Amino acid sequence: MENFASLLHGFSVALTTYHIALMIVGVLLGILVGVLPGLGAPNGVSLLLPLTFTMDPVSAIILLTSMYWGALFGGSTTSILFNIPGEPSSVATTFDGYPMAKQGQAAQALTLAFLSAGFGALVGVILITVLSGWVAKFALKFSSPEYFAVYFLAFASFVGLGGTSPFKTIVSLGLGFAFAAVGMDTVSGALRLTYGFSDLLGGISFLIAVIGLFGIGELMLTMEEGLRFDGIRARVRPRDVIKTIATMPRYWVALLRSSAIGCWMGITPGGPTAASFMSYGLAKRLSRRRDGFGKGEPEGVVAPETADHAAGSSAILPMLALGVPGSATAAVMMGGLMIWGLNPGPMLFIERPDFVWGLIASMYLGNIVAVLVVLTTIPLFASILRIPFAIIGPIIVVVCFIGAYTVAGRSFDLWLALVFGLVGYLFKKLDYPIAPLVLAMVLGDKAEDAFRQSMIMSRGSLSIFWSNGLVGTLITLGLVLAFWPLVSAALRKRAKSDASSVIA
Amino acid sequence: MISRFKAEIATATLTASLGLVTVIGALEFGIGWGDAGPESGAFPFYIGLLVIGASLGNLAQMARDRSALQAVFLDREQAHRVGSFLVPMLAFVILAVTLGLYVATALYLAFVMWRQGGYHLIVSAASGVAAAILFYVVLEYAFQVPLLKGPLESALGLY
Repeated sequence: MENFASLLHGFSVALTTYHIALMIVGVLLGILVGVLPGLGAPNGVSLLLPLTFTMDPVSAIILLTSMYWGALFGGSTTSILFNIPGEPSSVATTFDGYPMAKQGQAAQALTLAFLSAGFGALVGVILITVLSGWVAKFALKFSSPEYFAVYFLAFASFVGLGGTSPFKTIVSLGLGFAFAAVGMDTVSGALRLTYGFSDLLGGISFLIAVIGLFGIGELMLTMEEGLRFDGIRARVRPRDVIKTIATMPRYWVALLRSSAIGCWMGITPGGPTAASFMSYGLAKRLSRRRDGFGKGEPEGVVAPETADHAAGSSAILPMLALGVPGSATAAVMMGGLMIWGLNPGPMLFIERPDFVWGLIASMYLGNIVAVLVVLTTIPLFASILRIPFAIIGPIIVVVCFIGAYTVAGRSFDLWLALVFGLVGYLFKKLDYPIAPLVLAMVLGDKAEDAFRQSMIMSRGSLSIFWSNGLVGTLITLGLVLAFWPLVSAALRKRAKSDASSVIA
Repeated sequence: MISRFKAEIATATLTASLGLVTVIGALEFGIGWGDAGPESGAFPFYIGLLVIGASLGNLAQMARDRSALQAVFLDREQAHRVGSFLVPMLAFVILAVTLGLYVATALYLAFVMWRQGGYHLIVSAASGVAAAILFYVVLEYAFQVPLLKGPLESALGLY
C-alpha cells in the first residue's frame, strides 16, 4: 500500500497542464521519429536530450519517456501501412499487419496494434508500480561487488541470450567499454586513452555513438536498399475503432501471454525486439488459427505489439531501481539522468521520490495520451512518408548532425558521428549487435568503478565475488550465461554423436 | 563487388586493431596494482585483450565458414546508392566545420534536392535557405542552443 500512496503523490506531480502538454509534444515528436526511417526511439531520445539540459528533471524525463512511447507507436504504423518497420522491434508486426492492410483492413490493423500496445505498456507500468519499491529496497543492501555482479549479469545475458554470434556480441560490448574508458578516469582522475589528441580529453559521449550508430548507420542501410514507399492509404474512422475495440476481448490469452513475455524480456536485457519476435513465434505455435499467420491474422498483430510495448515500458524498472537499463533507449535515458545529476538506482527512491513516482505516474498518463494522439494523427504522419526521400533523407542527416553538435558544442563530434555512422552501417550489415555497445558505453564507468572498489575491498582477490550467497549467485549465473553458447554447442555435439551412435 | 567473407574479415581485423590500440594505450597508465587499487590502465587493458580475443574468434569462425559466406555483401548498384548518399554527407561535414552548420545545411539540402531529387535549382536553393533559417529560429531562439557558426554569420553580426 506504501507504493499506492507514493503513486498518488506521483500523479499530483505529473498531472499538471504543463506536463500534459509536454506529453503531447513528446508523443508527437516520438511518432515522427518512429515513422521516419533512420530515426528511432534511442536516436530520437539522444537528439532531444541536449535540449532538456536546462529543464527541470521531472519535466525532462516526462518529455523523453513520452517520446519513447510515441516512437514505439510510430514504428508500428510504418510496419502496417508500408511494410517498413520504423523500429527493429516492430519487424514482427509487418508479418501480419501489412497483409491485413493490403486486404483493406488497415484501420483495424492499426487500431488493434495501438490498443494491444497500450495494453502491454499498461501491464509493464503496473509491474513497475508494484515491484520497483521492493526491488529498490532490496538493492539498498548492494555494495560494490553486488553492483558489479548485476552489471556482469546484464552483459553476460547479451552474450548468452543474444541469438547472434557470441564473438560479435563480445566485440560489440568490449568496444563499448573501450570507448567509455577514453578521457577522464573516474577513480583516479587521470586522463587516459587520449593518444595525445586534445579532442579526446573530454571522452566520447554515448549520445554521439547512438546518433551515429542508430541514425546515420540506419539511413545508409535504408539508402542502400533503394527506398521505395508505396504505402496503403488508411483512414481511421471512429466507427472502425469502436468495432475493433469490441473484438479485443477475443485475444485475451494472446494479450496476457505476450505481456508476460514482454515484461520478462524488458526487465532482463533481452529488449523489445527479442520480445516481439518471441511473442509472435509463440502465438503462431499455440494459436488455433495458426494457418492464418503471415496472411493477415489479427492475433499476429496483437502478439508482437503487446510484447514490444510491455518490454519497452518494463525496461524502465531495472534502470530506475538498479541503474541497469533493459533496452538501448532506456540506456540513453539513464545517461540523461546522470547528466541531470541524478544517480539511477535505489538511492534515487529515497533522495528523489517526487522524481521517481512522478515518472511512474506519467507513464500511465503518457500511454493513454499516446494511444489517443496516435489514433487521431496517424493519417497525417503516414502522409509524411509520401514526401520524396530526396527531401526527407538530407533533413534527417542534418538533424542528426545538429543533434551531435548540441551534445557538447564540439565540432570534433561531427566527425565522430560520421565515423560511428559508418561503423553502424558495417555492424548492421554484418549482424554485429549494437545495443550491447551502447549499454557498455553508458555503464562502462560504473561497472569499472564497482569492479575496482571491490578489488580495493578485497585487496585484489577475486574471491570477493563469492563472498556471500547473493553476489555468488549473480556472478555464477552471469558466468553460466557468458559461456552458454559454448555449453549449448557442446551439448548439441554430444546429442548429435549420441544420435549417430544409436543409428550405427 | 565485395563478398560477405571479405567484409567480415576486414571488420574483424578492424576490431582486433581497435583492441590492440586500447591495449597499447592502457599500458601507458599502468595495468598493475597501485596505491589506490588497480591502476587506471588495468580495466581497459583487459577489455582490449577481450576485444582482440573475440575478433580472433570471429576470424576463425569466418575461415571455417568461408564457403557459406560467398554471398554478395555490396553489389555495384548498392555501392552506387550508398556512395551517392555518403559523398554529399561527407561534404556536409567538411562544410559544417569550415562554414558553420547553418550554411552547410542550406548548401547540402539545396544540392541534394537539385541533383538527386530533380527539383529546379531555384526551388532547391530556396528550400535549403528556408530550412536553415527555420533551424536557426528554432534552435537559437526557442531552445537557446547555439550551433556552430562560420564566417557568414560573423559577417552578418549574428552570434
